[in-house]
Amino acid sequence: MIGRSPMRIGVTGCGGRMGRLLVAEVLSLPDCELVGGCDRAGSAVIGEDVAAQAGLDPVGLTVDDDAEALFQAAEAIIDCTNPAVAKDHLELAARHRTILVLGTTGLESEHHAAVDAAALCTVVVQASNMSVGVNLLMSLTERATAVLGPGFDVEITDFHHRDKIDSPSGTTAMLGRLVAQERRQDFAQVARKVRHGATGPRQPDDIGFAVSRGGDVAGDHTVILASQGERIELTQRTVSRALYAQGGVRAALWARDKPPGRYSMRNVLGFA
Amino acid sequence: MSASPPSRIGIVGCGGRMGRLLVQEVARTQGCAVGGGTGRPGSAIIGRDVAEGAGMAVTADGETLFATCDVVIDFSVASVAAESAALAARHGVPLVLGTSGIGTEDQAAIAAAGSRTAIVQPANTSLGMNVVFSLVEHAAAALGTDYDIEILGQQHRKKVDAPSGATLALARAAATGREVDIGQVEQRGRRDAIGRRPVGAIGMATVSGGDLSVIHTVFFAGTGERLELTHRGTSRAIYTKGAVTAARWAASRPPGLYSMADVLGLA
Repeated sequence: MIGRSPMRIGVTGCGGRMGRLLVAEVLSLPDCELVGGCDRAGSAVIGEDVAAQAGLDPVGLTVDDDAEALFQAAEAIIDCTNPAVAKDHLELAARHRTILVLGTTGLESEHHAAVDAAALCTVVVQASNMSVGVNLLMSLTERATAVLGPGFDVEITDFHHRDKIDSPSGTTAMLGRLVAQERRQDFAQVARKVRHGATGPRQPDDIGFAVSRGGDVAGDHTVILASQGERIELTQRTVSRALYAQGGVRAALWARDKPPGRYSMRNVLGFA
Repeated sequence: MSASPPSRIGIVGCGGRMGRLLVQEVARTQGCAVGGGTGRPGSAIIGRDVAEGAGMAVTADGETLFATCDVVIDFSVASVAAESAALAARHGVPLVLGTSGIGTEDQAAIAAAGSRTAIVQPANTSLGMNVVFSLVEHAAAALGTDYDIEILGQQHRKKVDAPSGATLALARAAATGREVDIGQVEQRGRRDAIGRRPVGAIGMATVSGGDLSVIHTVFFAGTGERLELTHRGTSRAIYTKGAVTAARWAASRPPGLYSMADVLGLA
């Protein structure tokens, strides 16, 4: 890689919690160059210095609301925004052949279809969770489910900070989907997202979810596999969100040499 | 067509806590029969029925036990492990040896006996714990030394050795995943000024008390996140079931020293 120029990376939603961390991460790495940041029209950070609004020394780049210009200028965009703009950003990535690391959560099937469409023209890393630990947790969950078989009941818990707006978390739901897939079940049929009141006995195929919200918990996920006389608990605890920013930038750098297509964070990390 | 006769399974130390449970487990398992049981010479249990209605008395005679059983299970104490292995080798009878805390010399004798009969030496006989061993190995390989590994065993007050056999086995699994020798990297018992944690160390700690169910947790502590893989044992039945599964598996194996991963097909 000697002599290779730094990767030119832009951050959409750069005024958001994840956006600011991504700006800091890109600026901290010698093999990355920050080309700019944008945010939604009307956001308070429009017109501010991209780095200064992230709590760093100014770099002379101004936040604007022109996503198209940013996609045009950047080699890769890291996007942790919201599903409402995901389709627009995917179209821009495809049009300008910009690598897109899509860390936005809460994607529905229409968004996934848009990911597939954009992936025909450019590299899309769709990573609802960019941490090493969560992605390893996914792989461990699949292994444990496969080996233990139906004699072990699976329940999944998540605990996140008080400001989180979706439940269960995207990662929690993904863990449940992986279990259902491993057991050849239809996730929608077996997911028990709520239990309340006289629920009757647990159905053998159920995948149960329990959600807690409070304080500043960055994100804890536990997969429980419970049988007679023993249980296994696989937990990932996020202590700092900076971790996700590191994962996002790692994904962008990894994507540099890849042919167009849809990739996951597990591809980036090399976890089967 | 008549069914094949049940395997006669003998229990060394059948008066102890695990021994009694093993006798019950064998008695209620289809295709198995209690083949006999031994106790320490002079123990109050000598002469009593091994199991209700089994029509045989507990003896202190290991030689006869091994001569008359198809396979033997020993979960008693480390001090008799080498003797059990020697008897198993002499009689060509497979053995499941579940005691922890066996010394190096005795372990060499057990390995030697393994060249003459099948010996299963499980660090832990529960299915769940063995799955955790394999997950730990996988995680240690994937994460590397950026994630510090610490193991915590929680055990009831009657457990006499620490770290537990399962804690040591978890440490070995982690070391295997990292492709290092556990002897070179393990850290047991920290106190006073211990200095900075060495990169690549695998730490072990034990808490003990009351009737705690047995809990083992492996921590992979990185920067900004950690993973915790936990096994909770809430009933000893998971160990006795696993032991009987191992005994039935061993009954038809060629000589060798086997692990529970071999028995469960996780190796």
